Amino acid sequence: MPSRRTFLQLTGLSAASVTLGIAAPTAADATPARPIPDGAFALGVASGDPRPDGFVLWTRLAPTPLAVDGHGGMPAGEVPVQWEVAEDSRFRNVVRRGLAIASPDLAHAVHPEVRGLRPGREYFYRFRVGTQVSPVGRTKTLPTYGEQFTFATASCQAWYHGYFAAHRDIARRAPDAVFFLGDYIYEYGIVAGDNLWRAGVTVGPEHGVEIETLEQYRLRYSLFKTDPDLQAAHAVAPWFLVWDDHEVQNNYGAANSLYGVPPELFVHRRAVAYRAYYENAPLALGSLPQGPDGRIYRRYDIGSLARVHLLDTRQYRDPLPVDEADRVSEQRTIMGAEQEAWLYDGLRGSRAPWNIVAGGVVLSAVTDDRTEQWDGYPANRRRVLEAMGGAGTSVMLTGDIHRHVASELKLDFADPASRTVGVELVCSSVGSNGDGTDTDAYAKDWLQHPYMKLYNARRGYVHSTMTRSELTTEFVNFPYIQADTNAQPNVVARFRTPVADPRLEAL
Amino acid sequence: MRRPPAITGLHGAGGIRIVTLDWKPVSWATVVDHYAVYADGTLIGKTVYPHFVHRGLDFTGVTRSYSVVTVDAAGNRSAQSAAAAVANLTSVTISGTPIATVGTFDGKGSELALSPKGYAEYPTRFPSDVDYTFGTSTPSADWSYLLPGPGDKWAGTKNHRATFRFDLPAVPEQDLDLALWLIDSHASLAASALLTINGTEAGRLTFANGATKGSTIADSTYPGSPLKPSYLELPLPKALFRSGQNVLEIFKDQGSWIAYDALGVFARR
Repeated sequence: MPSRRTFLQLTGLSAASVTLGIAAPTAADATPARPIPDGAFALGVASGDPRPDGFVLWTRLAPTPLAVDGHGGMPAGEVPVQWEVAEDSRFRNVVRRGLAIASPDLAHAVHPEVRGLRPGREYFYRFRVGTQVSPVGRTKTLPTYGEQFTFATASCQAWYHGYFAAHRDIARRAPDAVFFLGDYIYEYGIVAGDNLWRAGVTVGPEHGVEIETLEQYRLRYSLFKTDPDLQAAHAVAPWFLVWDDHEVQNNYGAANSLYGVPPELFVHRRAVAYRAYYENAPLALGSLPQGPDGRIYRRYDIGSLARVHLLDTRQYRDPLPVDEADRVSEQRTIMGAEQEAWLYDGLRGSRAPWNIVAGGVVLSAVTDDRTEQWDGYPANRRRVLEAMGGAGTSVMLTGDIHRHVASELKLDFADPASRTVGVELVCSSVGSNGDGTDTDAYAKDWLQHPYMKLYNARRGYVHSTMTRSELTTEFVNFPYIQADTNAQPNVVARFRTPVADPRLEAL
Repeated sequence: MRRPPAITGLHGAGGIRIVTLDWKPVSWATVVDHYAVYADGTLIGKTVYPHFVHRGLDFTGVTRSYSVVTVDAAGNRSAQSAAAAVANLTSVTISGTPIATVGTFDGKGSELALSPKGYAEYPTRFPSDVDYTFGTSTPSADWSYLLPGPGDKWAGTKNHRATFRFDLPAVPEQDLDLALWLIDSHASLAASALLTINGTEAGRLTFANGATKGSTIADSTYPGSPLKPSYLELPLPKALFRSGQNVLEIFKDQGSWIAYDALGVFARR
């Protein structure tokens, strides 16, 4: 009998990919050593990081999703998980099959990377563990040419503030991809009578404290991911995910906490937070954190239609400015030098008519005191806008502010006559801040600028259709979210953006 | 099952009602879920940091044996670390004799002026700041529950001073002790204040960050109270004092407010 190491060499698999739930030797026994409790797929299924020839699949075995130790009620050992990908939802034409090992090191999450598929087409997938079969997910490979591409953008899903009507509607529309722009979880304690506004639910005291340990971050993902509308949105399309601050702690930047935790301690918190993020998202192995560091900025090509640049505007940012001279300093960066160079190379190197740039926080100029977003990093913004100006038309996708905002990206925001290099579509929150209102006291800060074309303070998502000649965008909101998940969608604004003459033309 | 390594270098320091523990974390090669912290064999908390504060201890010092277990991402547990014996400090409110106090050392600020949430009235009630004479003034009228700092817009974004006057029959034979207990403080800007005795600088008081809740809640003692109390006790050299009236001043020239529990000067027994 060959040793484990020899066996891995024979099968061409790396030991890392086996232990990390990416792949397993095909001859590995697919039968769990012990029976797995019923309901192993209670957290649903997902796909993400699509390529022209494949994507990443995801599930996390959790028969008792809210087990306090964060392990979802799974026994401690490793468990083989089978997956299959078919061209039809009834799995008559299965085109790929595989096996991944779910291990307790990753909270029994698996991230199989499927390759060898055809571009630009729909696939269906499911998992099997023992005798249990998961729900079926639908996903798509990226096209190699790309006549038309539809996508939804969403962010900020404070589960405790309301129901996820936005995800329900995204699932109904089944776009080609979903961009999720951060604040997938929130770290705050969830307390009835305080911040628990989602009608009809109760949570135990283990959810009532700010999370800090890996078991607590895992439990928080489990709590949010029990939402059936969120599971439906994951199961309908591949997701592109980036994080913002609340995946770790409110308004943190690099190793700096705003709550008095010194940097040499805070990196330990960041390490478990990034770990739990990877475990709970359909991310490729390249995004697995190493210690306190995790690389999630990455690039995709939607055929020759658009290049996608996903940004990390948290991990490498300079601290909040100490004064105005610091704020406007040429050296200031929200991306870090390495990521900046990577973005500018990527913009320069694409001949696609469009660039989709997705990040956590708002790029457009609003007010100088909004130092948490790009207003705190004007030199970095200028460099980005100049790079955008030398490339195809840019579509900036951001969230964070719990408001729908549409803005024209000016080469120089201080000069209204300067060229428009693209548009920024800021999606409101899925849940955060509860029901909301159409407008509020902050509206004037935004709408004072001629380049701002929309401000709305209800919950919702954004749906876009991109062709080689134009982008059509719908801002969708909901009259309420706290009472239940049944609110009907309302299109609050529609815009057309011609690729050759970027602007927001109201429809 | 692979056991993760145990931490090394566990050491601690006692404070009033607390023991602060620090250690060398395991290397990044081990993905840590958390460190489980034990006192005399009982689990007292979990933390992801190589640092833990054992809170809620008594005001009388007790020596405990602390140890730490590493729990990794798979749920595997290390052996117990080497133990460290650490005692919390005995408060001067227990070991000393009170000379002059304002407020009661009980975790509540409700006996003080403007408590529990009258901070907006501070500029009109205390236009020249607090000037309190022990034996004559009354806590509920003359000692504001908050001492604002220059970071507080509601108090004029300027420095503030609290003056505490008390009599001594003679120059003390031993050093005295100051006890300054807070029910809470600002969560990130508690900062510090300058302490002066009879016009001589006696050091800078550095306050622990709190929860920014003590401006509207007076009680840190009920179960689930969001307040984060803290305790400052320090010796005051006898040479600073004189027979007759003595003046102790706290000059808040940094950061935001602190919320008092009580303040007192104590003689050693």
